[in-house]
Order: sequence, then C-alpha cells, then structure tokens
Amino acid sequence: MSSSLPIEVRGLAKTYRLGFWMNRQVRALQGLDLEVQPGQVYGLLGPNGAGKSTTIKILMNLVQASEGTARLFGLPPTDEEARRQVGFLPENPAPYEYLTGAEFVTLAGKLAGMSGHELDQRVKEVIGMVEMERAAKLQIRRYSKGMIQRISLAQAIVNRPKLLILDEPTSGLDPVGRRQVRDLILAERQRGTTILFCTHIISDVEALCERVVVLVGGRRVREGSVRELLSGQAPVVEMTVEGLSLGQLQGFGHELTYAQDFGDRVLLRTGDQAAQLLLQQTLQAGGRVTQVQPTRYSLEDLFLDALKEARHGTVGGEIS
Amino acid sequence: MIREFGALTLNGFREARRNRVSVVVAVFTLGLLLSSTLVTDVTVYTFQRVLADVGLGAMAVTLVLLAIFLSSGLLTREIERRTIFLVVSKPVSRALFIVGRLAGNMLTLAVLLLAMSVVFFTQEALYGMAVTRPQVVAAGMLWVELLVISSVGFAMSSFASQLVSAVVTTGVYFAGHLSADIYNLASRSESGLIQWVGKGVYYVLPNLARLNFRPQASYEVVTPAMDILQSAAYGIGYAGVMVALAVFIFSRRDFK
Repeated sequence: MSSSLPIEVRGLAKTYRLGFWMNRQVRALQGLDLEVQPGQVYGLLGPNGAGKSTTIKILMNLVQASEGTARLFGLPPTDEEARRQVGFLPENPAPYEYLTGAEFVTLAGKLAGMSGHELDQRVKEVIGMVEMERAAKLQIRRYSKGMIQRISLAQAIVNRPKLLILDEPTSGLDPVGRRQVRDLILAERQRGTTILFCTHIISDVEALCERVVVLVGGRRVREGSVRELLSGQAPVVEMTVEGLSLGQLQGFGHELTYAQDFGDRVLLRTGDQAAQLLLQQTLQAGGRVTQVQPTRYSLEDLFLDALKEARHGTVGGEIS
Repeated sequence: MIREFGALTLNGFREARRNRVSVVVAVFTLGLLLSSTLVTDVTVYTFQRVLADVGLGAMAVTLVLLAIFLSSGLLTREIERRTIFLVVSKPVSRALFIVGRLAGNMLTLAVLLLAMSVVFFTQEALYGMAVTRPQVVAAGMLWVELLVISSVGFAMSSFASQLVSAVVTTGVYFAGHLSADIYNLASRSESGLIQWVGKGVYYVLPNLARLNFRPQASYEVVTPAMDILQSAAYGIGYAGVMVALAVFIFSRRDFK
C-alpha cells in the first residue's frame, strides 16, 4: 500500500450485532474499496443506511471494521499520528454545551497537539472564518443548530489538517449558512486539503466534489469522477403534451424514463432519438406539444438510477 | 501526551464546576458543616467528638454521592450525547481519555474536599479546638475512598447505562464498607461453598473500611504512618485495576 494516499480502503466490511443476545446482524458495509488522492474533494453519496457514516466512523476510529483494512496516510486509524493530520466534523455534531465556542475550539486545538500563542491566534482565525466572532464567548448551550455546525467546523480545521472528513456538513443550515460552508470547503481545497465529504444533498456534491462514490446497502454501486459519470449518459428530453392521455403516449412504444399525467397535460422524459419520433407521432395523433426541453443528466438522476439498479430499499443495510 | 492529558483534566474540572449539581452539593455540605454548631449546642462532654463526627460524616456522605453522580454517568453521557465523537477522533488514545476524565473528576472532588476541610478546621479553631492529625488523615483518606468509588463508577459506565452504573456503584460503596464483615461471617460457616463465596466477594469488592479513618479521627486515635500508606496504596491499586478494566472495555467499544 502506498503511504502517500490520504485515504485507502480495501475490502472494508462492518457487521453490527444487535439485540439482547447479540444474535441479530446488520451488515452496514460490505467489501468497500476506496482510494482518495491528495488534494481531491471526494463525495460519499447514498441513501440513509447506505454505509456512508459507518465508513467515516471506521476512518475516525469510532467503529472497528469487521473485515478489510482502512488507512489514513498509510497508517491505521487507530494510530494517533494518522488522526493528527485529520479534521473531522461528525453528523449532527454535539460539542460540550458547558463550554463557550472559543473554549471548545481551544480544547480541540490542544487535543490536536497545539498550544500557546499559535493556538490562540489560530482559534481567533478559524472563529473568524466561520463568522462566529460575536458568539465566541457564549456558552454552546445557547447556540442554534447552525451555530453549532459552524463552531464544530471551526474545531475541525483548527489544526490545519491535511485531510478533512465532513459528515453532512451542510445539514441543518439555512441557504446562507450552506453557501458559507461550501465556500469554506472550497477555500480548504484551494489550500490543498484533501476532503472526504459525505451527504445526501446531491447539489452540494455536484458543486464541490471531483470524484464520487455511490453506496447502496453497504455496497459500492458507482465510482468515478463526476464528469465521467455524467458525460457517459445519453441526453434526455423533457416534453409536455396536451390533448393525449398518458396511455395513448405509452402506446407509441417508446421507453419513457419518467411520465406523469396531470389530467390536462402529460409530462414525460425520454431519450433524444425517441423524442424525435414521439414528437412526430404526437402531432400526427392530434396532440399538442407545449414544451420540449433537453435536460442534462444530473447526479441526482445517476443516484436514482444507481438505487434502482441495486434493487435495494432506501433504508438500512442487510439484516439477518 | 501530557498537554492532552492536562486539557482533558481541566475540561473535566470545568464541566463539574459548571454543573449545577456540584454547586448545590458544595453549598449543601457547607451548610451541613455549619449546622454541626447546632448539634454541639446540645452536647455537654463530647463536644469535639461530635463536631468531628458530624463534620467528617457530612463531607463523606455528600462527596461520595457526588463522586457516584459524576463518575457513573460520565462515559455513558459522552456516548449518548455523541460528544465523544469530537474527542476520540482527535489524536488522543481512549486510555488517555478515560484517565484524563477521571483526573478531572478527582480534581473537582479534591477542590471541594479542600474547601470543606478548610471550613471544618476553621470551625474547630473558632471553638478553640486544635486540628488533630487523625482528622487530617481522615480527610486525606476520604479522597482515596472517592478515587476508588469514582473508578468503579467509570468501569461500570464504560459498558452500562447511567442508572445501572449508579445503582451498582452505590451498592459497591455500601458492600465495600461491609466486605470484611462478609468475609468474617462466611469464614464462620461450615459450608465450604459459602466460605469460598465469602472470600471471593471480599477480594472482588473494595475494602472501603480500610480507607475509612473517620472513627480514628473522632476518637483521636493516631494510626501508624505505615498503616496509612498501605491503605492508600491499596486504594490507589484497586482504582488502578478498575481504570484498567474501564480502558479495556472502552477501547473495544463501537460508537454508533
């Protein structure tokens, strides 16, 4: 294994044992392989229970893998030196409520090995970066959810990490807060920080990530650069038809990727070539085409297709 | 490592200091200590003994209850509230986390014990009584007793819920004061099994009677320094075993 990779995961699996007798097993993760290159912003995408948080928890030494290996800069996550180079923001972070924001970020810095004037300066700097100067001396118990998210992000970057692991960093934030967090992530990327970013807000992944892996039911179902994954897809055309029913349109025999009958009109999506024929057939049958719009295959479409292909429920891993 | 340990300890101290329960307990105990003046008003001959009994007794009861409260729920609370995620993910070993948090609790208890002792000894001085060596020893050994109780609470908290930890730790406190009696009673039995169980209970439970020097303080009995040191070493050793157990269990836990 190369020691220069910020994250390297091979055949990672995790089975949770549940119940009083520990006889119920939930396979949260099954044979995951992952490589994150230096400086990359890497997205972990998947529905609830896909294994995203489990992967991150294994990387942060919060959960032990049942099988396989995980490495941070070539070291196992149990190694403190590996974690020294990492900043971590968990999902729904819960900082110590009795501390003020500044005290909490200072504690995080001290635990990461910082001290003295350097730490004081850096605490001020990161609190400024998350725009929490005015609330820095307030106890965290008085913070809103958005403020907790920001101060937790500040503690994640206080030690100038080489790798930033963010679990749902924009959850609970208003649009302005989301934009600020996204800008902060982009600034960290500019600084050369590698970022592993886990979310189910697809627009965030599309805006921030260079490479993405889609997990479903604990398995990897898609992996690649965002551009590669989207460019390989055939173009789709969205049409709105009036004067014909959905049944009549389906009767033309074209594959429709999406179809919705609103009574007075039908909204449908189909491939580029099929759209040309469908357009002619609709007009010949007396229908009116009120809108034709080519649509870009989005990461959301890719995500939903991946879910369909995996033929898996959207919640939870495999249970036995 | 020392810097991280210091940060964890001071954070634990700050948490306890800002916890309303600690403040209420401190105020309550100080009130209780001062109320011993009322008890001494109705005492004719054994004035100093009653003052020492009530004062040291009040300190012991309230600090033991506080130690159980602070220790038995600490790790469980950290896991349930998920505050642990932000600490264990830092370059800090789980063993250091446990030891640092315990040190924070013990620092809190030491500060409270010191404040209470100052009030108690000042009260004695105001009555014109001398502070005796057995009283100082009793106050010091109370801290060792609190260390043992806290470490049991930590060991329980590493795998059980707050309620279970608190109940078991309270049970261990009472049984620990009776462990020598359990051993003596069992050794008088004719049944080999009961003798064996009695011995087992005696060795597993902490012998807290060995750390209780309050009767000696009341009766002004001077204990040899070697006995005090041996008792302190026993208490610290027992606490060490409990902390090792807590670390062993905690290091293997998944935080879901």
